Amino acid sequence: MSVIAGRIRAIPSWQVTLGFALLALGFLIAAQLASEGPRIRYTSQERTPLVATALDLQAQQESLKDQILAIRADIGSLETTGEGGAAVTVDLNKQLEQARIAAGLVAMTGPGVVIRLSDSTVAVPTEANERDYIVSGTDVLAVVEELWLAGAEGIAVNGERVTAATAIVDIGGSVLVNSAYLAPPYDVSAIGPSDMFDRLTRSQGFVDFIRARSETFGIGVGYAVQGAVDLPAYAGAVNLRHGYVDASPLPLASASPAAGTDAP
Amino acid sequence: MRRRNGRIAVTVVLLLLGFLGAIQWKSQSAGDALAGSSVQDLGELVANLTTRNNQLRDEISTLERQRDAVRASVDRGGTSAVQIRSDLSRIRGWSGALGVTGSGVTVSVDGPLPGDAVEELLNELRNAGAEAISIGTIRVVPGVVVTGPAGNLVVTGIPLADPLQLIAVGNPETLSGSLTRAGGPIAQFAARYPGVLITVSIADKVSVPPTDRDLAPRLGRPRI
Repeated sequence: MSVIAGRIRAIPSWQVTLGFALLALGFLIAAQLASEGPRIRYTSQERTPLVATALDLQAQQESLKDQILAIRADIGSLETTGEGGAAVTVDLNKQLEQARIAAGLVAMTGPGVVIRLSDSTVAVPTEANERDYIVSGTDVLAVVEELWLAGAEGIAVNGERVTAATAIVDIGGSVLVNSAYLAPPYDVSAIGPSDMFDRLTRSQGFVDFIRARSETFGIGVGYAVQGAVDLPAYAGAVNLRHGYVDASPLPLASASPAAGTDAP
Repeated sequence: MRRRNGRIAVTVVLLLLGFLGAIQWKSQSAGDALAGSSVQDLGELVANLTTRNNQLRDEISTLERQRDAVRASVDRGGTSAVQIRSDLSRIRGWSGALGVTGSGVTVSVDGPLPGDAVEELLNELRNAGAEAISIGTIRVVPGVVVTGPAGNLVVTGIPLADPLQLIAVGNPETLSGSLTRAGGPIAQFAARYPGVLITVSIADKVSVPPTDRDLAPRLGRPRI
């Protein structure tokens, strides 16, 4: 035993360093080769400025959403200070806060699951369609719908809250949620009951999805059941530009048509 | 001499390591994920992002006006109740808690279409900017999903009758154009489901009812 230890001690330190460095090098080369995986690559001179423009627009979008959330917070704060003691205002503010929560305009936390969809790492056969091996908007939409059916009460995809107005679309392999460009992998986070994951995995629709996408094309489907799943607030437009709100049967009926809407 | 050679080898390998690490990190970035897009797709993506950013700028202008109005009211020592009611009504209409009436389209689906195809139509309407949608008298809100095979559609446990009607409030031309465009969902369904006839009618006034679902979360709580 002491002979082996002695031999190990006799190895020059640079050889140990070189050994570890070569190990890391091998890992990085393998990772780089893997990342060349199924995502399709195009090469043309027009692409570079278009990619830069898309990323710049996406960065602008993040900044605009931050501004919206900040102004909404300002308005909420001002509304609670106005005529602070008046019972009617206090009651209305409570109703407004509940309406914002119900609409997805408030960040939430609660028990739930996160389903991660990632591109296939399977080598694409020569005659196959490469698009089948990457996560599409249809895949994300299918998982969102299955989670609703399993009892989810709130969902977000990579930080984009899913609301009544949310579209999940696919433009040539890029997934857009609320018209925000999202990069893979896609984390579909849902707050829901403790048996939501069991319900999801028992659903025929979800079983079919796994068969069609994971088993056939190797699309990665991971999951984590969590005690606290965080959902961000929806930061898009909440306006009715072509419609107006019908009169409410509640005391709210006395309100005039909402600001920003077309009067009948 | 041997020690010096060892140092050179370590330096070369570490340099390679740094170089490959940088490449790997860069290739995992969002920009590289766009490697899956053609020039045409990127053009569409840029157009989509531009439209969305303009909508967000409009929203900021609206909110700034709203904030000024509330502030002025508070500064005068008055109540902000009128503004709160207006805000409340708008949010409830948008979320589905209240009905919405306005210009829009009625989409009639005559023939057996499976649930996922109906969901595609709904998704297309949302993408075209629909402000409120219903399936017949059922308001489409989070959690409302059409399921079932062609001819046996169900939504929230209720069987759907044939012909199916989707009603959407929004810009009628945009909604109609999005559904009927070449290569759009209706064109695709015509090939996939030849026995199904889908028609889109533009209207100055359509009404979408409120949801009968409780939209308040039971398990989630606001994150501070």
